Amino acid sequence: MKAFFRFLYELIGAPQPPADTPVYRDVIFPNLGLLNLGVSLGMVVVFYLLINRAMGVATFNKGRHWAIFLGLNALIAFVVTIWQTNAQQVTDHSYIYWLATWNAILGMFWFFLFSVLLKRASTNASTTPF
Amino acid sequence: MRYLTSFPRLLPALGLTLLLLPGCYSRSDMKGEEAAADTKTETPAATPTPDAPAEAAEAASGAAAQPLQAVNVFLEVSGSMEGFMPKTGASGENTKFQQHVAQLLSEINRTPAARKKAFFRIKEKPYADTYQGISGTVRSGIQQPAKSTELPAVLDTLMTRYYQPGTVSVLISDFIYSPKNAGAIPYIKTDITDALQRNGAQPDLAVSVYGYTSDFRGTYYPALKAAGKKTACCDTEIPYYIWVLGPADAVRRFDAALLEQQSGKQAHFGVTYPRPAYSVLDKFQNKGAWYYGDAGASKRAAGSYRVVAVSEASAQQPVEFVVGLNLGQLPGQYKDVAYLKQNLKLEGVDTDARLLDVTAATDQTKASSGPQSKYTHFAKVRLTRQPKAARPLVLRLQDQRPVWVAQWTTRNDGTPAPKTFALSSLLDGLAPADAARPIFELPLTLQPAK
Repeated sequence: MKAFFRFLYELIGAPQPPADTPVYRDVIFPNLGLLNLGVSLGMVVVFYLLINRAMGVATFNKGRHWAIFLGLNALIAFVVTIWQTNAQQVTDHSYIYWLATWNAILGMFWFFLFSVLLKRASTNASTTPF
Repeated sequence: MRYLTSFPRLLPALGLTLLLLPGCYSRSDMKGEEAAADTKTETPAATPTPDAPAEAAEAASGAAAQPLQAVNVFLEVSGSMEGFMPKTGASGENTKFQQHVAQLLSEINRTPAARKKAFFRIKEKPYADTYQGISGTVRSGIQQPAKSTELPAVLDTLMTRYYQPGTVSVLISDFIYSPKNAGAIPYIKTDITDALQRNGAQPDLAVSVYGYTSDFRGTYYPALKAAGKKTACCDTEIPYYIWVLGPADAVRRFDAALLEQQSGKQAHFGVTYPRPAYSVLDKFQNKGAWYYGDAGASKRAAGSYRVVAVSEASAQQPVEFVVGLNLGQLPGQYKDVAYLKQNLKLEGVDTDARLLDVTAATDQTKASSGPQSKYTHFAKVRLTRQPKAARPLVLRLQDQRPVWVAQWTTRNDGTPAPKTFALSSLLDGLAPADAARPIFELPLTLQPAK
Protein backbone atom coordinates (compact mmCIF):
# COMPACT_ATOMS: atom_id res chain seq x y z
CA MET A 1 0.00 0.00 0.00
CA LYS A 2 2.76 2.43 1.01
CA ALA A 3 4.75 1.49 -2.07
CA PHE A 4 1.73 2.06 -4.31
CA PHE A 5 1.02 5.52 -2.91
CA ARG A 6 4.71 6.38 -3.05
CA PHE A 7 4.74 5.42 -6.73
CA LEU A 8 1.56 7.40 -7.37
CA TYR A 9 2.73 10.60 -5.67
CA GLU A 10 6.32 10.47 -6.89
CA LEU A 11 5.12 10.55 -10.50
CA ILE A 12 5.57 14.31 -10.17
CA GLY A 13 9.12 13.94 -8.79
CA ALA A 14 10.81 13.31 -5.46
CA PRO A 15 9.57 15.19 -2.40
CA GLN A 16 11.18 18.54 -1.68
CA PRO A 17 13.11 19.53 0.34
CA PRO A 18 14.88 16.14 0.34
CA ALA A 19 15.24 16.14 4.13
CA ASP A 20 11.48 15.63 4.47
CA THR A 21 11.45 12.58 2.21
CA PRO A 22 10.88 10.02 5.01
CA VAL A 23 7.90 11.98 6.37
CA TYR A 24 6.33 12.24 2.95
CA ARG A 25 6.89 8.58 2.14
CA ASP A 26 5.96 7.12 5.52
CA VAL A 27 3.16 9.44 6.58
CA ILE A 28 1.86 11.99 4.11
CA PHE A 29 1.57 9.90 0.94
CA PRO A 30 -0.40 7.06 2.59
CA ASN A 31 -2.60 9.60 4.38
CA LEU A 32 -3.33 11.55 1.23
CA GLY A 33 -3.92 8.41 -0.79
CA LEU A 34 -6.38 6.88 1.66
CA LEU A 35 -8.19 10.16 2.33
CA ASN A 36 -8.43 10.87 -1.37
CA LEU A 37 -9.90 7.45 -2.17
CA GLY A 38 -12.31 7.70 0.74
CA VAL A 39 -13.50 11.23 0.01
CA SER A 40 -13.92 10.52 -3.73
CA LEU A 41 -15.93 7.38 -3.01
CA GLY A 42 -18.02 9.28 -0.48
CA MET A 43 -18.77 12.09 -2.92
CA VAL A 44 -19.81 9.60 -5.60
CA VAL A 45 -22.02 7.78 -3.11
CA VAL A 46 -23.63 11.04 -2.01
CA PHE A 47 -24.31 12.11 -5.61
CA TYR A 48 -25.60 8.85 -7.07
CA LEU A 49 -26.95 6.90 -4.16
CA LEU A 50 -28.02 9.51 -1.61
CA ILE A 51 -29.27 12.47 -3.65
CA ASN A 52 -30.33 10.67 -6.79
CA ARG A 53 -31.74 7.53 -5.29
CA ALA A 54 -32.46 7.51 -1.56
CA MET A 55 -33.66 11.13 -1.36
CA GLY A 56 -35.27 10.94 -4.79
CA VAL A 57 -34.30 14.51 -5.70
CA ALA A 58 -35.31 14.88 -9.33
CA THR A 59 -33.65 18.20 -10.18
CA PHE A 60 -29.98 17.45 -9.39
CA ASN A 61 -28.97 14.89 -11.98
CA LYS A 62 -27.55 16.88 -14.90
CA GLY A 63 -23.97 16.85 -16.09
CA ARG A 64 -23.33 20.29 -14.54
CA HIS A 65 -24.45 19.02 -11.15
CA TRP A 66 -22.04 16.14 -11.47
CA ALA A 67 -19.36 18.67 -12.43
CA ILE A 68 -20.07 20.67 -9.23
CA PHE A 69 -19.33 17.54 -7.23
CA LEU A 70 -16.23 16.85 -9.32
CA GLY A 71 -14.93 20.36 -8.62
CA LEU A 72 -15.83 20.12 -4.93
CA ASN A 73 -13.95 16.84 -4.73
CA ALA A 74 -10.84 18.40 -6.31
CA LEU A 75 -11.03 21.32 -3.89
CA ILE A 76 -11.26 18.98 -0.89
CA ALA A 77 -8.27 17.00 -2.20
CA PHE A 78 -6.28 20.23 -2.50
CA VAL A 79 -7.21 21.47 0.98
CA VAL A 80 -6.57 18.05 2.55
CA THR A 81 -3.01 18.13 1.18
CA ILE A 82 -2.35 21.56 2.68
CA TRP A 83 -3.83 20.40 5.99
CA GLN A 84 -1.84 17.15 6.07
CA THR A 85 1.49 18.80 5.27
CA ASN A 86 0.87 21.41 7.94
CA ALA A 87 -0.14 18.76 10.45
CA GLN A 88 3.10 16.84 9.83
CA GLN A 89 5.16 20.04 10.13
CA VAL A 90 7.14 19.64 6.95
CA THR A 91 9.27 22.51 5.72
CA ASP A 92 7.45 25.13 3.65
CA HIS A 93 8.23 24.61 0.00
CA SER A 94 6.47 25.20 -3.33
CA TYR A 95 6.43 21.41 -3.65
CA ILE A 96 3.49 21.37 -1.23
CA TYR A 97 1.33 23.19 -3.80
CA TRP A 98 2.49 20.98 -6.65
CA LEU A 99 1.57 18.01 -4.51
CA ALA A 100 -1.83 19.54 -3.67
CA THR A 101 -2.54 20.14 -7.36
CA TRP A 102 -1.51 16.60 -8.23
CA ASN A 103 -3.70 15.29 -5.44
CA ALA A 104 -6.65 17.31 -6.81
CA ILE A 105 -6.09 15.78 -10.26
CA LEU A 106 -5.91 12.31 -8.75
CA GLY A 107 -9.11 13.10 -6.81
CA MET A 108 -10.91 13.93 -10.01
CA PHE A 109 -9.64 10.71 -11.54
CA TRP A 110 -10.92 8.62 -8.62
CA PHE A 111 -14.23 10.50 -8.73
CA PHE A 112 -14.60 9.69 -12.42
CA LEU A 113 -13.67 6.07 -11.87
CA PHE A 114 -16.16 5.59 -9.03
CA SER A 115 -18.83 7.41 -11.05
CA VAL A 116 -18.47 4.94 -13.91
CA LEU A 117 -18.66 2.06 -11.43
CA LEU A 118 -21.62 3.29 -9.37
CA LYS A 119 -23.82 5.30 -11.73
CA ARG A 120 -25.89 2.27 -12.70
CA ALA A 121 -26.94 1.91 -9.08
CA SER A 122 -28.63 5.32 -9.18
CA THR A 123 -32.27 5.71 -10.23
CA ASN A 124 -32.35 9.37 -11.29
CA ALA A 125 -28.80 9.87 -12.54
CA SER A 126 -27.79 6.58 -14.09
CA THR A 127 -26.83 8.30 -17.33
CA THR A 128 -24.91 11.23 -15.76
CA PRO A 129 -22.42 12.39 -16.94
CA PHE A 130 -22.89 10.24 -20.04
CA MET B 1 -40.76 8.44 3.32
CA ARG B 2 -39.19 6.60 0.46
CA TYR B 3 -35.68 7.68 1.25
CA LEU B 4 -36.06 6.37 4.78
CA THR B 5 -36.78 2.87 3.59
CA SER B 6 -33.94 2.77 1.10
CA PHE B 7 -31.42 4.58 3.29
CA PRO B 8 -30.17 1.42 5.05
CA ARG B 9 -28.94 0.12 1.73
CA LEU B 10 -26.49 3.01 1.57
CA LEU B 11 -25.10 2.35 5.00
CA PRO B 12 -22.29 -0.02 3.91
CA ALA B 13 -20.89 2.56 1.48
CA LEU B 14 -21.05 5.37 4.04
CA GLY B 15 -19.62 3.11 6.69
CA LEU B 16 -16.68 2.28 4.45
CA THR B 17 -16.02 5.98 3.92
CA LEU B 18 -16.09 6.65 7.63
CA LEU B 19 -13.81 3.70 8.31
CA LEU B 20 -11.20 4.98 5.89
CA LEU B 21 -10.86 8.36 7.58
CA PRO B 22 -9.48 7.35 10.98
CA GLY B 23 -7.25 4.76 9.33
CA CYS B 24 -4.83 7.50 8.40
CA TYR B 25 -1.30 7.74 9.70
CA SER B 26 0.05 10.63 11.63
CA ARG B 27 3.37 11.19 13.33
CA SER B 28 1.80 11.56 16.74
CA ASP B 29 0.04 8.23 16.31
CA MET B 30 3.32 6.62 15.46
CA LYS B 31 5.06 8.15 18.42
CA GLY B 32 2.25 6.83 20.56
CA GLU B 33 2.73 3.38 19.12
CA GLU B 34 6.44 3.62 19.67
CA ALA B 35 5.95 4.71 23.26
CA ALA B 36 3.63 1.78 23.75
CA ALA B 37 6.27 -0.51 22.31
CA ASP B 38 8.84 1.02 24.64
CA THR B 39 6.77 0.37 27.71
CA LYS B 40 6.30 -3.17 26.46
CA THR B 41 10.05 -3.70 26.28
CA GLU B 42 10.55 -2.10 29.65
CA THR B 43 8.06 -4.30 31.42
CA PRO B 44 10.20 -7.47 31.35
CA ALA B 45 13.10 -5.53 32.88
CA ALA B 46 10.90 -4.49 35.77
CA THR B 47 9.81 -8.06 36.43
CA PRO B 48 12.19 -10.32 38.36
CA THR B 49 13.01 -12.37 35.24
CA PRO B 50 16.60 -11.46 34.46
CA ASP B 51 17.05 -9.65 31.19
CA ALA B 52 20.76 -9.61 30.50
CA PRO B 53 21.28 -6.35 28.54
CA ALA B 54 18.82 -4.40 30.66
CA GLU B 55 20.56 -5.67 33.78
CA ALA B 56 23.97 -4.67 32.48
CA ALA B 57 22.71 -1.19 31.67
CA GLU B 58 21.16 -0.94 35.09
CA ALA B 59 24.37 -2.05 36.79
CA ALA B 60 26.36 0.51 34.84
CA SER B 61 24.03 3.36 35.70
CA GLY B 62 23.96 2.19 39.29
CA ALA B 63 27.74 2.27 39.44
CA ALA B 64 27.75 5.77 38.00
CA ALA B 65 25.35 6.97 40.65
CA GLN B 66 27.35 5.34 43.46
CA PRO B 67 30.05 7.46 45.07
CA LEU B 68 33.67 6.38 44.86
CA GLN B 69 34.93 4.04 47.58
CA ALA B 70 37.75 6.28 48.68
CA VAL B 71 39.96 9.18 47.76
CA ASN B 72 43.52 9.25 49.04
CA VAL B 73 45.19 12.64 48.85
CA PHE B 74 48.96 12.79 48.94
CA LEU B 75 50.78 16.08 49.43
CA GLU B 76 54.48 16.16 48.83
CA VAL B 77 56.30 18.02 51.63
CA SER B 78 59.87 17.87 50.44
CA GLY B 79 62.12 20.91 50.53
CA SER B 80 61.36 21.82 46.94
CA MET B 81 57.69 22.33 47.85
CA GLU B 82 58.47 24.87 50.56
CA GLY B 83 58.41 27.78 48.17
CA PHE B 84 54.78 27.02 47.31
CA MET B 85 53.84 26.94 50.97
CA PRO B 86 55.91 29.68 52.62
CA LYS B 87 55.28 30.45 56.26
CA THR B 88 52.64 33.11 56.42
CA GLY B 89 54.24 36.55 56.23
CA ALA B 90 53.36 39.47 58.45
CA SER B 91 51.06 40.89 55.78
CA GLY B 92 49.18 37.59 55.57
CA GLU B 93 49.88 37.23 51.86
CA ASN B 94 49.81 33.76 50.41
CA THR B 95 50.70 32.04 47.14
CA LYS B 96 48.30 30.88 44.45
CA PHE B 97 49.27 27.32 45.37
CA GLN B 98 48.12 27.82 48.96
CA GLN B 99 44.89 29.43 47.84
CA HIS B 100 44.13 26.76 45.27
CA VAL B 101 45.22 23.64 47.12
CA ALA B 102 43.57 24.65 50.41
CA GLN B 103 40.35 25.19 48.49
CA LEU B 104 40.71 21.88 46.64
CA LEU B 105 41.44 19.94 49.84
CA SER B 106 38.35 21.42 51.39
CA GLU B 107 36.27 20.42 48.37
CA ILE B 108 37.63 16.89 48.44
CA ASN B 109 36.93 16.66 52.15
CA ARG B 110 33.34 17.81 51.67
CA THR B 111 32.51 16.06 48.40
CA PRO B 112 29.66 13.55 48.32
CA ALA B 113 31.37 11.92 45.31
CA ALA B 114 33.50 9.70 47.55
CA ARG B 115 32.69 7.79 50.74
CA LYS B 116 36.04 7.77 52.47
CA LYS B 117 38.68 10.47 52.30
CA ALA B 118 42.21 10.03 53.57
CA PHE B 119 45.05 12.54 53.59
CA PHE B 120 48.77 11.78 53.57
CA ARG B 121 52.02 13.71 53.65
CA ILE B 122 54.70 12.24 51.42
CA LYS B 123 58.15 12.19 52.87
CA GLU B 124 60.25 9.16 52.05
CA LYS B 125 56.97 7.26 52.34
CA PRO B 126 53.36 8.37 52.84
CA TYR B 127 52.43 9.31 56.40
CA ALA B 128 48.77 9.36 57.32
CA ASP B 129 47.50 12.76 58.30
CA THR B 130 44.14 14.40 58.79
CA TYR B 131 42.33 16.99 56.72
CA GLN B 132 43.09 19.60 59.37
CA GLY B 133 46.75 18.59 59.44
CA ILE B 134 47.21 18.75 55.67
CA SER B 135 45.22 21.92 55.30
CA GLY B 136 47.26 23.50 58.10
CA THR B 137 50.48 22.49 56.34
CA VAL B 138 49.31 24.08 53.10
CA ARG B 139 48.26 27.28 54.85
CA SER B 140 51.07 27.85 57.28
CA GLY B 141 53.99 26.14 55.60
CA ILE B 142 55.91 22.90 55.93
CA GLN B 143 57.24 22.39 59.43
CA GLN B 144 59.82 19.68 58.77
CA PRO B 145 60.58 19.40 55.09
CA ALA B 146 61.55 15.96 53.91
CA LYS B 147 64.58 15.22 51.87
CA SER B 148 63.75 15.04 48.21
CA THR B 149 61.47 12.12 47.41
CA GLU B 150 62.00 9.88 44.43
CA LEU B 151 59.01 10.02 42.13
CA PRO B 152 59.17 6.37 40.94
CA ALA B 153 59.29 5.20 44.56
CA VAL B 154 56.25 7.30 45.41
CA LEU B 155 54.31 6.00 42.41
CA ASP B 156 55.31 2.45 43.25
CA THR B 157 53.97 2.86 46.79
CA LEU B 158 50.72 4.35 45.52
CA MET B 159 50.24 1.53 43.08
CA THR B 160 51.03 -1.32 45.45
CA ARG B 161 49.24 -0.01 48.52
CA TYR B 162 46.46 2.30 47.39
CA TYR B 163 45.34 1.01 44.01
CA GLN B 164 41.84 -0.37 44.61
CA PRO B 165 38.70 -0.57 42.50
CA GLY B 166 36.65 2.58 42.95
CA THR B 167 39.53 4.37 44.64
CA VAL B 168 41.66 7.20 43.31
CA SER B 169 44.94 8.60 44.55
CA VAL B 170 45.48 12.33 44.21
CA LEU B 171 49.10 13.34 44.19
CA ILE B 172 49.97 17.02 44.64
CA SER B 173 53.58 17.83 43.82
CA ASP B 174 55.91 19.90 41.67
CA PHE B 175 57.00 16.66 39.96
CA ILE B 176 60.58 17.76 39.68
CA TYR B 177 62.16 14.36 39.24
CA SER B 178 65.91 14.12 39.12
CA PRO B 179 67.40 10.70 38.56
CA LYS B 180 70.38 10.01 40.80
CA ASN B 181 72.81 10.35 37.94
CA ALA B 182 72.55 12.24 34.69
CA GLY B 183 72.96 9.03 32.71
CA ALA B 184 69.52 7.92 33.85
CA ILE B 185 67.77 10.94 32.33
CA PRO B 186 66.94 9.17 29.03
CA TYR B 187 65.27 6.43 31.08
CA ILE B 188 62.79 8.63 32.93
CA LYS B 189 59.90 7.28 30.84
CA THR B 190 60.91 3.69 31.58
CA ASP B 191 61.31 4.42 35.29
CA ILE B 192 57.78 5.83 35.49
CA THR B 193 56.24 2.99 33.49
CA ASP B 194 58.06 0.43 35.63
CA ALA B 195 56.84 2.05 38.82
CA LEU B 196 53.24 2.14 37.62
CA GLN B 197 53.10 -1.31 36.10
CA ARG B 198 55.42 -3.36 38.23
CA ASN B 199 53.31 -6.45 37.90
CA GLY B 200 51.55 -5.43 34.72
CA ALA B 201 48.50 -6.22 36.77
CA GLN B 202 46.57 -2.97 36.33
CA PRO B 203 45.47 -2.86 32.72
CA ASP B 204 42.77 -0.31 33.49
CA LEU B 205 45.15 2.13 35.19
CA ALA B 206 44.39 5.71 34.21
CA VAL B 207 46.13 8.95 35.12
CA SER B 208 44.79 12.46 34.75
CA VAL B 209 47.36 15.21 35.00
CA TYR B 210 46.36 18.76 35.85
CA GLY B 211 48.97 21.50 35.57
CA TYR B 212 48.92 24.85 37.37
CA THR B 213 51.40 27.61 38.04
CA SER B 214 51.90 29.52 41.25
CA ASP B 215 54.11 32.24 42.60
CA PHE B 216 56.95 30.77 44.61
CA ARG B 217 58.75 32.20 47.62
CA GLY B 218 61.59 30.14 48.90
CA THR B 219 64.46 27.97 47.81
CA TYR B 220 64.23 26.47 44.35
CA TYR B 221 65.82 23.06 43.81
CA PRO B 222 66.30 22.30 40.11
CA ALA B 223 66.33 18.71 38.93
CA LEU B 224 69.80 19.21 37.55
CA LYS B 225 71.71 19.50 40.79
CA ALA B 226 74.77 20.84 39.00
CA ALA B 227 72.89 24.09 38.44
CA GLY B 228 72.73 24.59 42.19
CA LYS B 229 69.77 25.67 44.30
CA LYS B 230 68.44 29.19 44.06
CA THR B 231 67.58 30.87 47.31
CA ALA B 232 64.99 33.64 47.59
CA CYS B 233 63.35 32.48 44.42
CA CYS B 234 61.53 33.46 42.15
CA ASP B 235 60.30 36.22 39.93
CA THR B 236 58.50 33.78 37.62
CA GLU B 237 55.73 31.37 38.43
CA ILE B 238 56.63 27.73 39.00
CA PRO B 239 54.39 24.85 37.85
CA TYR B 240 52.86 22.31 40.16
CA TYR B 241 50.67 19.36 39.25
CA ILE B 242 47.83 17.28 40.50
CA TRP B 243 47.92 13.69 39.34
CA VAL B 244 44.87 11.52 39.72
CA LEU B 245 45.71 7.82 39.58
CA GLY B 246 43.32 4.92 39.69
CA PRO B 247 41.12 2.62 37.66
CA ALA B 248 39.88 4.35 34.51
CA ASP B 249 36.28 4.54 35.60
CA ALA B 250 37.07 5.96 39.04
CA VAL B 251 39.44 8.56 37.61
CA ARG B 252 36.82 9.69 35.12
CA ARG B 253 34.22 10.13 37.84
CA PHE B 254 36.60 11.94 40.17
CA ASP B 255 37.72 14.28 37.38
CA ALA B 256 34.16 15.11 36.47
CA ALA B 257 33.14 15.69 40.08
CA LEU B 258 36.03 17.78 41.32
CA LEU B 259 38.63 18.83 38.81
CA GLU B 260 36.68 19.64 35.67
CA GLN B 261 35.66 23.11 36.84
CA GLN B 262 39.24 24.08 37.63
CA SER B 263 40.99 26.31 35.19
CA GLY B 264 44.30 24.45 34.93
CA LYS B 265 45.85 22.60 32.02
CA GLN B 266 44.94 18.96 31.69
CA ALA B 267 46.09 15.74 30.06
CA HIS B 268 44.53 12.31 30.39
CA PHE B 269 46.13 8.91 30.02
CA GLY B 270 44.13 5.73 29.74
CA VAL B 271 40.89 7.29 30.97
CA THR B 272 37.91 5.87 29.10
CA TYR B 273 34.67 7.71 28.48
CA PRO B 274 31.21 6.46 27.58
CA ARG B 275 30.27 7.08 23.97
CA PRO B 276 28.70 10.52 23.65
CA ALA B 277 25.17 10.93 22.32
CA TYR B 278 25.13 11.84 18.63
CA SER B 279 22.80 12.07 15.70
CA VAL B 280 22.64 13.23 12.12
CA LEU B 281 20.54 16.41 11.91
CA ASP B 282 18.43 16.76 8.77
CA LYS B 283 17.31 20.35 9.22
CA PHE B 284 20.37 22.07 10.55
CA GLN B 285 22.71 23.61 7.98
CA ASN B 286 21.82 20.78 5.62
CA LYS B 287 22.47 21.07 1.91
CA GLY B 288 21.78 18.91 -1.09
CA ALA B 289 19.55 15.96 -1.77
CA TRP B 290 19.75 13.59 1.18
CA TYR B 291 17.50 12.39 3.96
CA TYR B 292 17.44 10.10 6.98
CA GLY B 293 17.89 6.57 5.71
CA ASP B 294 17.20 4.86 9.04
CA ALA B 295 14.42 2.30 9.05
CA GLY B 296 11.20 3.98 10.11
CA ALA B 297 12.90 7.37 9.88
CA SER B 298 9.70 9.34 10.43
CA LYS B 299 8.75 7.59 13.67
CA ARG B 300 12.12 7.65 15.42
CA ALA B 301 12.79 9.80 18.43
CA ALA B 302 14.99 12.73 17.50
CA GLY B 303 18.61 12.05 18.29
CA SER B 304 18.91 8.50 16.99
CA TYR B 305 19.61 9.05 13.32
CA ARG B 306 22.72 7.37 11.98
CA VAL B 307 22.04 6.76 8.30
CA VAL B 308 22.35 9.30 5.50
CA ALA B 309 20.54 8.39 2.28
CA VAL B 310 21.93 10.40 -0.62
CA SER B 311 19.66 10.77 -3.62
CA GLU B 312 21.96 13.01 -5.62
CA ALA B 313 25.46 14.38 -5.15
CA SER B 314 27.86 16.04 -7.53
CA ALA B 315 30.60 18.62 -7.43
CA GLN B 316 28.05 21.29 -8.40
CA GLN B 317 25.46 20.08 -5.91
CA PRO B 318 27.36 18.67 -2.95
CA VAL B 319 25.62 17.04 -0.03
CA GLU B 320 26.32 18.57 3.37
CA PHE B 321 25.06 17.18 6.62
CA VAL B 322 25.73 17.98 10.25
CA VAL B 323 26.26 15.46 13.03
CA GLY B 324 25.29 16.77 16.45
CA LEU B 325 27.56 15.58 19.29
CA ASN B 326 26.90 15.89 22.98
CA LEU B 327 30.37 16.04 24.52
CA GLY B 328 29.15 17.30 27.88
CA GLN B 329 30.59 14.28 29.71
CA LEU B 330 34.09 14.65 28.31
CA PRO B 331 36.85 16.66 30.00
CA GLY B 332 37.52 20.17 28.79
CA GLN B 333 40.56 19.16 26.80
CA TYR B 334 38.44 17.13 24.39
CA LYS B 335 35.64 19.70 24.22
CA ASP B 336 37.97 22.41 23.02
CA VAL B 337 36.95 23.34 19.47
CA ALA B 338 40.56 23.84 18.37
CA TYR B 339 41.41 20.34 19.64
CA LEU B 340 38.37 18.86 17.91
CA LYS B 341 39.20 20.58 14.63
CA GLN B 342 42.62 18.95 14.67
CA ASN B 343 41.80 15.54 16.02
CA LEU B 344 38.27 14.66 15.03
CA LYS B 345 38.67 12.45 11.97
CA LEU B 346 36.16 11.14 9.51
CA GLU B 347 36.93 7.78 8.01
CA GLY B 348 34.87 6.26 5.26
CA VAL B 349 35.06 3.53 2.68
CA ASP B 350 34.72 4.29 -1.00
CA THR B 351 33.56 7.86 -0.52
CA ASP B 352 34.93 11.38 -0.78
CA ALA B 353 33.12 12.48 2.38
CA ARG B 354 35.27 14.77 4.47
CA LEU B 355 34.89 16.81 7.60
CA LEU B 356 34.34 20.46 6.71
CA ASP B 357 34.20 22.04 10.11
CA VAL B 358 33.61 21.49 13.80
CA THR B 359 31.73 24.16 15.73
CA ALA B 360 30.53 24.54 19.28
CA ALA B 361 26.92 25.19 20.18
CA THR B 362 25.88 28.82 20.15
CA ASP B 363 23.11 30.55 22.07
CA GLN B 364 21.08 30.31 18.90
CA THR B 365 21.36 26.52 18.63
CA LYS B 366 20.76 26.07 22.34
CA ALA B 367 17.58 28.14 22.21
CA SER B 368 16.37 26.41 19.05
CA SER B 369 13.24 24.29 19.15
CA GLY B 370 14.89 21.74 16.84
CA PRO B 371 16.92 18.71 17.94
CA GLN B 372 20.15 20.73 17.60
CA SER B 373 19.44 22.26 21.00
CA LYS B 374 20.55 18.98 22.63
CA TYR B 375 24.09 19.03 21.26
CA THR B 376 27.22 20.82 22.41
CA HIS B 377 29.18 20.44 19.18
CA PHE B 378 28.47 20.04 15.49
CA ALA B 379 30.56 18.30 12.85
CA LYS B 380 29.75 19.22 9.27
CA VAL B 381 30.46 16.67 6.55
CA ARG B 382 30.50 17.24 2.81
CA LEU B 383 30.50 14.73 -0.02
CA THR B 384 30.21 15.11 -3.76
CA ARG B 385 29.91 11.48 -4.87
CA GLN B 386 26.86 9.37 -4.38
CA PRO B 387 27.63 6.13 -2.50
CA LYS B 388 27.16 3.01 -4.59
CA ALA B 389 25.86 0.94 -1.70
CA ALA B 390 25.56 1.22 2.08
CA ARG B 391 29.02 2.14 3.37
CA PRO B 392 30.25 2.73 6.92
CA LEU B 393 31.46 6.16 7.95
CA VAL B 394 33.15 6.72 11.32
CA LEU B 395 33.73 9.90 13.29
CA ARG B 396 36.74 9.24 15.50
CA LEU B 397 38.35 11.51 18.08
CA GLN B 398 42.06 10.81 18.37
CA ASP B 399 43.76 11.06 21.73
CA GLN B 400 46.49 13.61 21.22
CA ARG B 401 49.02 14.86 23.75
CA PRO B 402 47.99 18.45 24.46
CA VAL B 403 50.31 21.19 23.24
CA TRP B 404 50.92 22.66 26.68
CA VAL B 405 52.95 19.62 27.72
CA ALA B 406 55.66 20.43 25.21
CA GLN B 407 55.51 24.10 26.12
CA TRP B 408 55.93 23.36 29.82
CA THR B 409 58.85 21.00 29.28
CA THR B 410 62.45 22.05 29.66
CA ARG B 411 65.70 20.14 29.40
CA ASN B 412 67.52 22.46 31.74
CA ASP B 413 65.66 23.85 34.71
CA GLY B 414 68.71 25.59 36.20
CA THR B 415 67.00 28.92 35.59
CA PRO B 416 63.60 29.04 37.30
CA ALA B 417 60.83 29.28 34.73
CA PRO B 418 57.23 28.12 34.45
CA LYS B 419 58.53 24.86 32.99
CA THR B 420 59.24 21.46 34.45
CA PHE B 421 62.27 19.31 33.83
CA ALA B 422 61.57 16.42 31.41
CA LEU B 423 57.81 16.74 31.82
CA SER B 424 57.05 15.08 28.50
CA SER B 425 59.29 12.15 29.38
CA LEU B 426 57.41 11.78 32.67
CA LEU B 427 54.09 11.81 30.85
CA ASP B 428 55.41 9.42 28.20
CA GLY B 429 55.72 6.94 31.03
CA LEU B 430 52.00 7.31 31.76
CA ALA B 431 50.80 6.52 28.27
CA PRO B 432 49.05 3.16 28.24
CA ALA B 433 50.22 0.39 25.98
CA ASP B 434 47.33 0.92 23.56
CA ALA B 435 47.95 4.64 23.32
CA ALA B 436 46.35 4.80 19.89
CA ARG B 437 42.94 4.07 21.39
CA PRO B 438 40.53 6.82 20.34
CA ILE B 439 38.45 8.82 22.81
CA PHE B 440 35.30 7.83 20.98
CA GLU B 441 34.12 6.30 17.73
CA LEU B 442 30.76 7.20 16.29
CA PRO B 443 29.62 4.94 13.45
CA LEU B 444 27.39 6.31 10.70
CA THR B 445 26.20 4.87 7.41
CA LEU B 446 26.13 6.40 3.96
CA GLN B 447 23.79 4.85 1.45
CA PRO B 448 22.21 5.67 -1.87
CA ALA B 449 18.58 6.72 -1.73
CA LYS B 450 16.26 3.85 -2.39
